[in-house]
Amino acid sequence: MTPLLEVRSLNKIYDNGVHAIKNISISVNKGEFLGIIGLSGSGKSTLLRCINRLVEPTSGEVLLDQINLTQLPFKEMRQKRRQIGMIFQHFNLIRRKSVLTNVLTGSLGSTSTLRSVCALFEDEARERALEKLQAVGLVDKAQTRADELSGGQQQRVAIARALMQDPELLLADEPVASLDPATSHSVMDYLKKANQEYGKTIVCNLHFLSIVRQYATRVIALKAGEIVYTGAATEIDAAWFKRIYGEDAKEVEIR
Amino acid sequence: MSEVFQKRVAREQRQAFRRAWFINFLLLYYFCFALSYLVFHFLALEDGITAHSKLLGLYLLLCIVVGYLWSRSPASAGRWMVERTNPVLKGLQKQPSLQKWLRSASGIFSLLLLILTLCLGWILTEMDMRALFSVQGLGGARRIFTSLIKPELGILEMVLEAMVVTIFIALMATILAIPIAFVASFFMARNLMKFSRSALFIYNSLRFIANFTRSVEPLIWAIIFSVWVGIGPFAGMLALMLHSFAALTKLYSEQIENIDRGPLEAIEATGANRIQVVWYAVVPQIILPYLSFTIYRWDINIRMATIIGLVGGGGIGTLLMQYQGLARWHEVGTIIIVIAIVVWIMDYLSARIREAIY
Repeated sequence: MTPLLEVRSLNKIYDNGVHAIKNISISVNKGEFLGIIGLSGSGKSTLLRCINRLVEPTSGEVLLDQINLTQLPFKEMRQKRRQIGMIFQHFNLIRRKSVLTNVLTGSLGSTSTLRSVCALFEDEARERALEKLQAVGLVDKAQTRADELSGGQQQRVAIARALMQDPELLLADEPVASLDPATSHSVMDYLKKANQEYGKTIVCNLHFLSIVRQYATRVIALKAGEIVYTGAATEIDAAWFKRIYGEDAKEVEIR
Repeated sequence: MSEVFQKRVAREQRQAFRRAWFINFLLLYYFCFALSYLVFHFLALEDGITAHSKLLGLYLLLCIVVGYLWSRSPASAGRWMVERTNPVLKGLQKQPSLQKWLRSASGIFSLLLLILTLCLGWILTEMDMRALFSVQGLGGARRIFTSLIKPELGILEMVLEAMVVTIFIALMATILAIPIAFVASFFMARNLMKFSRSALFIYNSLRFIANFTRSVEPLIWAIIFSVWVGIGPFAGMLALMLHSFAALTKLYSEQIENIDRGPLEAIEATGANRIQVVWYAVVPQIILPYLSFTIYRWDINIRMATIIGLVGGGGIGTLLMQYQGLARWHEVGTIIIVIAIVVWIMDYLSARIREAIY
């Protein structure tokens, strides 16, 4: 089986000279839930953003369904982005707009500029948006302003927005890092649902190993921009943990 | 220290030296100019000023050389200024303490410069205490003040009509400037325009035009337009509109540069095009500050519209100019009172509206 996503010797050197990711190659099969772990500054976020080119990689290839994204002209890249949903640590909703409008922005890629500026989304899109809100259990809040929701609820809206694109691949950049433990599990459960019920492939940056063990089917660990571990989450033992996080690190459980 | 860093430091130091040299040169040249002007002024020679201007070329050469030598001292004014604002050198350099600096040659030089400036200023502004407190002068002032507090109310209707014109000059200038400034502000925000070289070119040229327009006072624009379209409210409105456009784009675009990048990334990631990204991620974040700035601008425009009338921009300013020219102080008093009341009311209203928005 050919992998859905393949990253080949990807490098990113920022303008200030920081070599954020070094020669990284990964491949992700359809239906996988890949966890990426590593310290802050290890290059996790850069790697994720290089996949949908929110950050322009310096060299290397990103193949989605055998198509090299790094070579695409910008217009075609925008088309491809519709197949890649993304979720952020700080939710990044439009705070002053309603929950429904926020979910509808997930369909901007397939809406004409004129229609979207006048907020004239198709009825079909509205129905679909409500359906996605139903899926994350927030259909009652459709007309509420996004900034009136709690953190966990906002992240669920962000998941609905990403699902609205009907993507093949979901990128999640530390989706639970600014949430409390109980809410974290609820959000992760919705991601799991997207993975198992809707068959979305997920690549997810995470901080807590306990969450990785519980949700990810496979894990890679980054250290200073390089892959230092690939394998099943359950196989990361104390020795590996110290190699990834440094000698002084202690594992914190989150239940 | 790594080699890369050392190279960076050396480069910064060379640059800092050149800048310091330029600053030191300017300071020294100003010092020579002021000193020689004062000396010749007090000597009161017939051809004093000619002699002074003949020497200026000599000072130029002298100051370039002395400036170079002085810039080698880290305590010189130029070095101090440049190194304090350079992020790399600021951390490396040990700054001399204030007391030590005051006793050094640079400190004494700075003090002398300050005294010289005050002396020069006294002479150039022709300050004269005798004129301020002369009996004749005080009498004239009293005559005007007493007339002003006894306003001539017969012309009230005409004054109010002119005031309405002035208010509408400000209103039209503000309203017409809003859409232009709104659209232009997106092209003048660095964070939206750095995606390509041609975009940056548009950004820079628009910035230049706006900065130029803003740095020319509306008073001068009013003079230009009163020649262009003839004296009257239209000229005043155009002048105010142009200045409002330039001022608003600056405030607007700075607001765009301060937005939260998060939603921008999120909307970009959905595959939205640039216009959609701006409409959904930028506009909701800026709309309230924009409103606030605009009302503030309208506030300023009301005040400016009266001033612009003085140079042919129409409205109440022109009326004021006419009565002042005829030395009819009772009528001038009426006009000033009306202006004060209207400005106060508008001030109050705009403050209330802005409070309500936030």
